[in-house]
Amino acid sequence: MYRYDEFDAAFVAGRTAQFADQVNRRLSGELSEDQFRPLRLMNGLYLQLHAYMLRIAVPYGTLSSRQMRKLAHIARVYDRGYGHFTTRQNIQFNWPRLKDIPAILEELASVEMHAIQTSGNCIRNTTTDQFAGAAADEIIDPRPVAEIIRQWSSLHPEFTYLPRKFKIAMTGSPNDRAAIRFHDIGLQAAVNGAGETGWEVWVGGGLGRTPMIGKLINSFVPNEHLLAYLESIMRVYNRYGRRDNKYKARIKILVHEEGLETIKGQVEAEFAEVRGGVLTLPQQELDRITAYFAPPAFADRSGSKVDVAYESIIDPAYGRWLDNNINAHREAGYASVTISLKPIGGAPGDATDVQMDVVADLAERYSFDELRVTHEQNLVLPHVAVADLRAVYDVLVAAKLADGNAGLITDMICCPGLDFCALANARSIPIAQEITHRFAAPERQKEIGDLKIKISGCINACGHHHVGHIGILGVEKKGGELYQITLGGDATELASVGKIIGPGFEAEAVPGAIETLVDTYIARRQSADETFIQAYRRLGEAPFKEALYGAA
Amino acid sequence: MEILTGNELTSGGTVYLDRSGAWVEDLQAARVFAKEEGAERDAALAATKGTGRVISLEIEEITLDQGLIVPKRLRERIRAAGPTAPLTLNGAIYDRQHLGEDGHVSI
Repeated sequence: MYRYDEFDAAFVAGRTAQFADQVNRRLSGELSEDQFRPLRLMNGLYLQLHAYMLRIAVPYGTLSSRQMRKLAHIARVYDRGYGHFTTRQNIQFNWPRLKDIPAILEELASVEMHAIQTSGNCIRNTTTDQFAGAAADEIIDPRPVAEIIRQWSSLHPEFTYLPRKFKIAMTGSPNDRAAIRFHDIGLQAAVNGAGETGWEVWVGGGLGRTPMIGKLINSFVPNEHLLAYLESIMRVYNRYGRRDNKYKARIKILVHEEGLETIKGQVEAEFAEVRGGVLTLPQQELDRITAYFAPPAFADRSGSKVDVAYESIIDPAYGRWLDNNINAHREAGYASVTISLKPIGGAPGDATDVQMDVVADLAERYSFDELRVTHEQNLVLPHVAVADLRAVYDVLVAAKLADGNAGLITDMICCPGLDFCALANARSIPIAQEITHRFAAPERQKEIGDLKIKISGCINACGHHHVGHIGILGVEKKGGELYQITLGGDATELASVGKIIGPGFEAEAVPGAIETLVDTYIARRQSADETFIQAYRRLGEAPFKEALYGAA
Repeated sequence: MEILTGNELTSGGTVYLDRSGAWVEDLQAARVFAKEEGAERDAALAATKGTGRVISLEIEEITLDQGLIVPKRLRERIRAAGPTAPLTLNGAIYDRQHLGEDGHVSI
């Protein structure tokens, strides 16, 4: 893992001290709320419905055991004993008190963490594939470049007041697990004709009230010029992005209104100016950063295997966990383990302080001290020896973290919704909880197979409903809540935006509506191997619409 | 009819202006402003802004149901009661935020 150098340590310490002073001046009355609000937002401190909310950056979703233990400690001492992992691979605490924020930030700085640029119109945390550096299907590990982007984008003086927030996601694998086509910039590892590794650059993707699939602006940018190319995009956006209308200020609108070719021309003109300048990334520096992400010292475990079919007979719950929560590793005899934060009836993405400590212990003992946060609001132990899977599972069972439902219908993305969020129009957590109860039976989940439900409590789409195979959007109607259902969204390399299927449903009718859709899929699928999204693409919306609303 | 609500500075907790000019946690203690009391309402808002201790101030419409104050917006009913989701993972009830010892504000 990357370790702070003196520059990182200095800027985090400097900002921590600065914001502590600002908090104290606010509490003393020296600063008004109007003066303080932009300062707190620059430091990830929001005011939500019931309390402040502190969003802490987890750079490219990677945590050490020490960092996870610190998050557990903060949850225990300063919050209410739990934290909420987000779709940006960050963590949010829902109940901190203003006077405790300086102490929390000092605690974070002691483990090389902070909350800088987790809010505001700046470049946010770069997200990556949760299996980076471990996945068997990976071309390259994206984390070294993600770290370089972090260094370039942190406190970048030119990009502190962009027209709107800006999000970058990257994947080193052809199988997109980071939803890169729904980010302002998406980077996908690519190999050119000469066998060199670089990046496909996608631009103008996003969700929110105007969902857009990113467009390919450059099919190959070599590592050495990537920062210059990114800076060129940022400059074009910073110059031409709309500042007159918040709802049209994201780069996706600029790309859409101006057209890709126009934007591409502007970016290329800028790139011609900055290419080969100070932003050129020397191979030596890339090598230096890459060394932080060197593969751990894997033992020769190539003989280790687990017989999932056998284990499923002996212990079905363990068999399900093996079936769904294990991802193929590049190193023989190892696997990546997804720790589901989606228990039946739970709030998606929440983990208690005790659970965070347990996960930290597991990472230390079984995963070379490494952890990941997924954009689907789960955790990952990236490097577990196959021979240790049972031991890991047993600990997870004791910690109530052993749900074998990764990728299944109960593994939902869900925003905090109107139970917490000041922007929300409708609740989302209770909807998710009811759906998990409806589909709690493991056999039923297995029968349904891969199905991604994503729930947002407002049009801002923090719950990624546009890219759910089934998306649920809560809206306000006549003072109450109503839920629109979309079908056909997909956040992967086969990116698509879901389509509203018909009139919305009252909250209590949503689980039944989901069940109707699922039953329709099962009745119409060609075989159990045809997933929901595949069946939807083949069948179109008609049979689902008819099942929900009757024949037209 | 209207009430005044906001979030207390140090805790962020939901508070209401009561009849004595104090900002309190209890929705039912809130001062209800009738339509013709707009001037008093605005004076109370201005005085509160002057303290700097209650933020995100809002005027909320309410109805009275057998003497009980009921905010018209669901959002406000959730603010008053706390999150509605069932128990947290650690078995606690989702409670709203409470004021600390330094969270008492009057105008």
